[in-house]
Amino acid sequence: MIEMILHYDFMQRALIAGMIIGVISPMVGLFLVVRRLSLIADALSHVTLSGVAAGLLLQKQFPVFQSWNPLYMGMVFSLTASIFVDRLRHLYRSYQELAIPVILSGGIGLGVVLISAADGFSVDVAGYLFGSILAVGESELHVIIGVGILVTTVILLFYKELFALSFDEESAALSGIPRRSINILFNLVIALLITASIRVVGILLVSGLITLPVAASLQLASSFRQAMFWSIAFSQVSVLSGLAAAYYFDWSSGGTIVLVSVFILILVSSGKRLMHVVNRQIKSRTHSRHQEGSS
Amino acid sequence: MREIEICVKEELPDSGDFHMTKPVLRMEDVSFSYENQTVLEHIHLTLRAGEFLALVGPNGSGKSTLLKLVLGSLHPDSGNIFLFGSEPRQFREGSRIGYVSQKANSFNQDFPATVREVVASGLYGKLGLFRRMKQQHWERVNQAIEQVGLNDFADRNIGRLSGGQQQRVFIARALVSDPELLILDEPTVGVDAHSAEEFYKLLVHLHRQKGLSLLLVTHDIGAVTAYVDRIACLNRRLFFHGNGEDFSREKERILTDAYGHPIHVMDHRHEENVSS
Ligand SMILES: Nc1ncnc2c1ncn2[C@@H]1O[C@H](COP(=O)(O)OP(=O)(O)O)[C@@H](O)[C@H]1O
Ligand SMILES: [Mg+2]
Repeated sequence: MIEMILHYDFMQRALIAGMIIGVISPMVGLFLVVRRLSLIADALSHVTLSGVAAGLLLQKQFPVFQSWNPLYMGMVFSLTASIFVDRLRHLYRSYQELAIPVILSGGIGLGVVLISAADGFSVDVAGYLFGSILAVGESELHVIIGVGILVTTVILLFYKELFALSFDEESAALSGIPRRSINILFNLVIALLITASIRVVGILLVSGLITLPVAASLQLASSFRQAMFWSIAFSQVSVLSGLAAAYYFDWSSGGTIVLVSVFILILVSSGKRLMHVVNRQIKSRTHSRHQEGSS
Repeated sequence: MREIEICVKEELPDSGDFHMTKPVLRMEDVSFSYENQTVLEHIHLTLRAGEFLALVGPNGSGKSTLLKLVLGSLHPDSGNIFLFGSEPRQFREGSRIGYVSQKANSFNQDFPATVREVVASGLYGKLGLFRRMKQQHWERVNQAIEQVGLNDFADRNIGRLSGGQQQRVFIARALVSDPELLILDEPTVGVDAHSAEEFYKLLVHLHRQKGLSLLLVTHDIGAVTAYVDRIACLNRRLFFHGNGEDFSREKERILTDAYGHPIHVMDHRHEENVSS
């Protein structure tokens, strides 16, 4: 496989893109999941779809935009929506999850209208919906690298603030952590991450990549650092398997990535249960032996 | 309800040496209402440095609301509040106050964090943006964990501790930034009687050893009269604000006034059940 990668440009791009996404999506995903906001990823990805559709429409109508990657338009849309999410969460303090269906249905509605208004695109919209890692182009790789650097920097710089806010938002704010600004910054990071992941897993599966490896890591981790480590590890395994499946079997990369993540989740949780049972068996056996010995 | 205000004005009966020390917290004629329900009326309250004050009152009497006013997350309709001499909303030194909320125990029990990670988060606000935890900060975290007697649990997942132990984790998180004032909102709710007793002893120890000012909200009246310097009895208005002895002497009358009906307080545990 190494030779293939060295030989083909598209494989190099796919590998770099996959590894970057495989690191940043669980990094962001862990904070999203523990704050019980994983559905925000879903909502924003649907908005990104409408952005991409708007970008494609512009390309079709105005030749000036020919050289523009429609992903940029998707990014603009999801960044805007992420600020709306924050506003809506403020508006409905005790119905924070209400922001999600509002944004999600708004996004998909607009996307579908734009696609139908354009009367079909020459580009394959399915590539955006389900991802095609082997089709990552030069300019898209640049977007992914840029986003990768930005997201990693923000998460590392604000790790302690994000942790404190995730565990207990009220206390964190009272202890002097700038809650509003950090939350807005984090929403922007989510929007960037989603835009960058679309080529790899697709709009419909982005939230799977963001949450599934985290869900598996939660089965193993007792500390936040461990959770971070395991979710990145699981995510890398999933993304690389997706890449291999796309190359060797011509399977959908997004679909494979998410299926492998689900498989890891099942493996980890049943493995954990098995360990539990085995441990109990050993304990009870040594216990009964003790009793035999003493009687 | 008979409304006899016993002691609500500034000239408080002197309860020890606190008279001379600077007030950490002062509320002057504070009133507050949610949309159309008046929750607090004409509250005068002073907490001096090094003092241990218990705020008691039935459920819905406005205790948590009073704390929110003090912490600046709500704003009074009238009257003034001074926290270390400044208005709570202007107050920017959050690390001088440790706060354990009534809801502290309702966190996500499956949260992937160890005791050490949670306690450390109490330092992050003080540390400030872009500053990393250094060796001395981690030592401070270990100290705080030791103070609440959880050394053996430092690397345990917080969800795997008992309710009483979790409560102590939150005290450690509040203490780690070396606050001058510790505010606790019903910290022993949902904790068994023995752990609650241990918990009060820990508070008294911290109070004596470090000269920490304490504001403890509770409806566990029997238990606190033994430990605190002063008691304030609240039910929309303040019905008593004075020291434990005066309180004990007139307990029946004060509580009848505040609760609206006679209640029986047994010494120490198992006091009034009527409040809930
Ligand atoms: N956010 C709120 N909006 C409207 N009313 C509230 C709110 N919080 C509390 N209240 C009301 O204010 C009163 C005092 O509540 P609270 O301060 O929580 O009492 P306590 O802490 O003494 O039990 C109660 O009657 C409660 O219903
Ligand atoms: Mg309360």
